[in-house]
Formats: sequence, structure tokens, C-alpha cells
Amino acid sequence: MLRALDLANLPDADVVALALEGREAAHRELIKRYERPVFSLVFRMVRDRELAEDLTQDTFVKVLSHLDRYRSDFKFSSWLFKIANNVAIDHLRRRQLDTVSMDGSPHAMTADAVESTRFDVADVAENALDEMEARELGSAIERAIARLRPEYRSCIMLRHVEGRSYEEIATTLDLPLGTVKTYIHRARHELRRALDHTRE
Amino acid sequence: MNHRHLLPNEIDLLVDGESGFGVAPLRAHAAECTDCRERVDDARIVVDALEALPHFAPDGRLADRVMSQVPVFVPAHVAARDSVARWLPQSAPARTAAAVAGTSVAGLLTLALVWLAGRGDAVLFVGGMLGDRMRVTVAAAARDLAVSLLGEGAFAALQAGGPLGAALLVLGFVATATVTVAGLRHVAAVSARRG
Repeated sequence: MLRALDLANLPDADVVALALEGREAAHRELIKRYERPVFSLVFRMVRDRELAEDLTQDTFVKVLSHLDRYRSDFKFSSWLFKIANNVAIDHLRRRQLDTVSMDGSPHAMTADAVESTRFDVADVAENALDEMEARELGSAIERAIARLRPEYRSCIMLRHVEGRSYEEIATTLDLPLGTVKTYIHRARHELRRALDHTRE
Repeated sequence: MNHRHLLPNEIDLLVDGESGFGVAPLRAHAAECTDCRERVDDARIVVDALEALPHFAPDGRLADRVMSQVPVFVPAHVAARDSVARWLPQSAPARTAAAVAGTSVAGLLTLALVWLAGRGDAVLFVGGMLGDRMRVTVAAAARDLAVSLLGEGAFAALQAGGPLGAALLVLGFVATATVTVAGLRHVAAVSARRG
């Protein structure tokens, strides 16, 4: 029997199927379910609310415009996080290329000059943090996360904020399982050191 | 007690709450070794802090902004199905009542049709009688209209001419109207050229 759709109680795969049928309400339900996790991941990656809003919007537009490419053997949320992470990482790389080469300035004549102009994500995070001073990201752990390399950051966010398993993270980020474990281990280690430092 | 201290990956296993093969001895060691227990506790503080991190909310208009850029095509059959679903009551008792009412009406209509089909002669007779009466009424109304428009004499002449006379009258009217319209357009074109 036909009945009004109760989208909130349907699993992701069913909502995606309805969205593929052209139901706008199903599209909106997917946004409603994941806007906070995706925005949180992107915000913690780029450390700028307005930019994170734009990148989150880009992520959802990409995902919803290409729902027909979604493979149902993959978890929808993993696919979504994969695109969100790619969007954020692409932005960070582009921003870096706009200013200085990852390998140092092409005009550097000495080894010291190359080193001083080399890509260093930690510096970027620190600068962004300096200018931000936002209440939202102001806690010690948030500041410590900001100093992590972006790939560590996405792994640690997916593991501990989104509660994903190591295997899911490996699938989501297209990384070998061992690499994910290493990244998370190093990230925890760096965070521990950073928090020890703030406690002293 | 195993005197080898825990390796970093073993501490990770304990922090992650793993329970697989080989984890129990590590847990037992951490329970007895103060140094390792402190390292596990330190690692757990970080994990607890991470897991307490909140989700942030984006701007409330995000969904509208996204949907303004996502083309959504709703197929006709989906739209029709949704329309039907909108008209159906939501609660189970109301749906049952609607189903009972619908079935009753459909049943009564079916019975009425069966009853009429069983009395085909009567239906045909009544239908023919009603048809005749309607035809006579329409013909009388048309005659009255023609008499009032053309006058009694012209109408009598038209009646005497029969169908051929009526066709000639209509053709004459169409020809006159066409010539009149063409003449008016010609006059308008000439005056426009002069102006």
C-alpha cells in the first residue's frame, strides 16, 4: 500500500534510492543527516568557518549531482566523507600552490633558502589559528589538532569524532590499512605531546 | 608477570578497546606495570578528549543553497504516486475506514451496473425516449433562433430550398465575409502607403 514516506527512519541506502527516483525530500534528508559531520570534518581541516561552509556546499553538490555513480556495496557515509576529505585536501593543496611550492621556492639559491620556503602544513595551521582565535576551535585539543598534518587530521577525525573503524577509514581515504594505523598512532602521539606541553 | 614493557602499537590496541587474540596478556601486563599503565592512561586521555569533541552546525540555509545547484528531475509516475500518497490518511484506523468506505461505494456502483445490464430492454427504451425528446427540443430552439434572425419569410424560403439551399446560404455568407475582409485590408494598405 502507498503511504507518505517516513524518510527519517529509512536506512541511507533506501534514501539514496529515493533520491535517485528524483525525490527532492530524499536529497534534503541526506543533507540533514550528514551536514554536521561533514561540516565538522571540513571545518577542522581548513580552520575557517566561511570557507568550510563553501566546501561543505561543494561536497554535497558533487555527491547529490552524481548519486548515480554511488556503488551500493560501499557505505554512503564513507563515500560522502571521501569526497568531503578530497575537497578539503584539494583546497589546502591549491592554497599552498598559490603561495609557495611544496618543495620550496623555485627561486631559492641555497639549501637554507629552499628549507625556509618549503611547504609546511604546521606553519599554515599555526597562522590560521593565530588569526582565528575562535571560541569554537579554541580548546587545547582543537589547537593541537590544527598542528597535525592534514592526512593525520582526517584520519584522527574519522576515527574518534565519527567513530569509524580502521578498515572504513582505509576505504574512505583510499589508504592501505597499515598506513591508517600508522597515521592514527602518530597523530595520537603528537596530540599527547601537545597536550602534555599545555599541562606543563 | 611479563617484564617486557608494552610497545606503542600494543598501547594502541588497549586504547582502542580491542579484545582479540593476544590482548588479554597485554591488559594483564598493564594492570601490573605502573609505567605501562600510565602510558595507557595518557593515551586514553587524548582519545577521550577527541571523542568528546562536538559536531559543528553549518549555516541553516545550507540545504537550500545545495538544492539550488542540484537538478532534480521527478518522473511522472513518481509524482503521481506521491500525489496519491498525500491523499491517503496517515493513521492505520483512518486508512482502514477509508478502505471500507471506498470498497462499499465501489460495491454499490457495481451492483447498480449489474442491475441495469440485466434490464437492457428497459434501459434502451428509456434512453431512446430521452434522446427523441432532446432532439425535438434542440430542433425547436434552432428554428426559433433562425426565425428571429432571418424573419419568417426567409426562413420559409430556406426550408423550401432544403439542404442544398442551406448550403448555398452558408457559402454565400462565407464568400461575402471573405470579400469584405479582403477589401478592408486593401483599403488599409493603400491608406498606409499614402500616409
